[in-house]
Amino acid sequence: MGAALEVRELGRVPYAEALALQEELREARRRGACPDTLLLLEHPPVVTLGRSHRSEHLLLDRAALAARGIELFEVARGGDATYHGPGQLVGYPIVDLAARGAPDVHAWLRTLEEGVGAACAALGVPWRRIEGWTGVFAAAGEPGARPRPRKLASIGVGLRGWVTHHGFALDVDLDLAGFEAIVPCGLAEVEMSSLARELGARAPADLGVRAREAVRNAFLERLG
Amino acid sequence: MASIAVELPALGESVVEGTISRWLVKEGEAVEADQPLVEVTTDKVDAEVPAPVAGVVQALLVSEGDTVEVGTELVRIDPDAEATASPTRLTEAPPPQLGTAPAPSAPTGPGEGPRATPLARRAAEVQGVSLEAVESEGRRIRVADVERHVGAAPGPARSTPPIAPSAATPASRREEPARRDEPARPAAPARRDKPAFLDYELQEGDKVIPMTPLRRIVAQHMVLSKRTSPHVGAVAEIDMAGVFGVRNEHKRAFQQSHGFALSFLPFIVHAAVRALREFPRLNASVVEDAIVEKKDIHMGIAVETEKGLVVPVVRHADRLSLAGLAQAIEDLASRARSKKLSPDELKGGTFTLSNPGRHGNLYGFAIINQPQVGILRMGEIVKRAVVRTIGGEDAIVIRPIMHLALSYDHRAVDGAPANGFLHRVRALLEEAEFDL
Repeated sequence: MGAALEVRELGRVPYAEALALQEELREARRRGACPDTLLLLEHPPVVTLGRSHRSEHLLLDRAALAARGIELFEVARGGDATYHGPGQLVGYPIVDLAARGAPDVHAWLRTLEEGVGAACAALGVPWRRIEGWTGVFAAAGEPGARPRPRKLASIGVGLRGWVTHHGFALDVDLDLAGFEAIVPCGLAEVEMSSLARELGARAPADLGVRAREAVRNAFLERLG
Repeated sequence: MASIAVELPALGESVVEGTISRWLVKEGEAVEADQPLVEVTTDKVDAEVPAPVAGVVQALLVSEGDTVEVGTELVRIDPDAEATASPTRLTEAPPPQLGTAPAPSAPTGPGEGPRATPLARRAAEVQGVSLEAVESEGRRIRVADVERHVGAAPGPARSTPPIAPSAATPASRREEPARRDEPARPAAPARRDKPAFLDYELQEGDKVIPMTPLRRIVAQHMVLSKRTSPHVGAVAEIDMAGVFGVRNEHKRAFQQSHGFALSFLPFIVHAAVRALREFPRLNASVVEDAIVEKKDIHMGIAVETEKGLVVPVVRHADRLSLAGLAQAIEDLASRARSKKLSPDELKGGTFTLSNPGRHGNLYGFAIINQPQVGILRMGEIVKRAVVRTIGGEDAIVIRPIMHLALSYDHRAVDGAPANGFLHRVRALLEEAEFDL
């Protein structure tokens, strides 16, 4: 047990269903009934609010969201508001940190950043961290005295005992307009970006497939 | 068997505290082993703390919204008590979670030394006191106990709990754990909102102002900093004529292109940041028994708001031009005053500049913003008569003079780098070679 990682690619899954699956898996993982598992999937448009969200970071109310076909969930993960939608690769690692001998949530956040960051780099988008802001940011600078950091992936984690759930959301070729509903992660200063936007004309036609491969490989390398 | 205390587990090496976001159980409720009891939030993580044993929830010891340190008792569970609520299904107890090792309320096990929270151990180590000598009001020694011991207060005052609420142990928590013959104690423990006073009897007409959460954080931080870092002060007298010149030259154009006035602050930040690049020892932290010189320079700017002191951080201040710094400072300061800063913007500073503003004074020494090792405080800028040698002749001339005071942590910084740094800041300001 311990070090094996099973990756399951699920395609498009409604948020509530994915939540239930995570719940089931993490209970199974806690009983030792399944190995560490990484779920890779995408969601139909949905806004989720983490435990540390502040209401002013939700810019549209429930009705206005519904009118745009966006669901709203309040969930037991750390962090503020975020948006998921088609074109975004969501990863939910259900991992027993204690069994891996690494019961440290900050180290886990850094592992997630590294995995997603390595995948971005493999696809030709250099990444960086910004101290104090969990997440994966594009490293390439933009001109101007005060460029806004461009965020590629958001991270928010839940723990029951030492088993993780929730995880990361990497914007591959997401329609970034969805983020207009919220102040992403409560960071008004951050601009949301995507791999497609960073790559511009260099973006391959099958970017979605490649991104999934890259993320899968990056995490198998780190956790497999 | 006595009741079991469930503590806030150590969620990671760099995690020292967590905020209680939601209770998932009530007092008097029966819980299964491993059932989630409470949700705790820290940064980007929401952690559920499970019950180490099956039993009845005796008392919730902290409230939702409280931020508590690792090792704080959150809840007591009595494994033997009768449930006052109808019990739910029972399962076999799985092996205990590493993250939530139960803290039995029995006395110290053999050969372990006194029980103490990790923070208290570190505090004792820093203060050079032996944990054996520290009297605890609870079953485990806490930071507050160590501080009280160091403060040489004549023993804990039984009738008057200390003022610092988050470090205090409310009276009800000091009681012995419920004995077997007592029923589960459903009564809520005393909350912390009653102010109490050490050595002061309230007089008629006194005004009692309970500390706001921000005030408490500031107060605790100041005490921590003074106890942690031996502060040394040094003051430079700086001729600001050159900076005046640059500012006057660009004032109007700057106002037109940026929409706000160019103040002296960005000049001083700019000079400090350049000097920090040359004296990295001032841009550092003491971590355990090492000194960490940081790659990045994130400058905290102390701002007074109506709610109190806040220190927003200009990230990567060394990558910004003078105009960029001015813009960043203006943006942070205005949002600090309108309370629109996100918590992340107050974190991660590597050095701090304090600007007392219009009602400043000659000079003063600020307290270091931990875990940094230095802080600059601006004095007022006043025209003074000074002696300059002009054309080979000594002359008394009138110059705008500012005193700039540096407080530094002598654990990490010796006089030479500190003086070198301050001297460099002065030289940069007097040379006044700024691009705008």
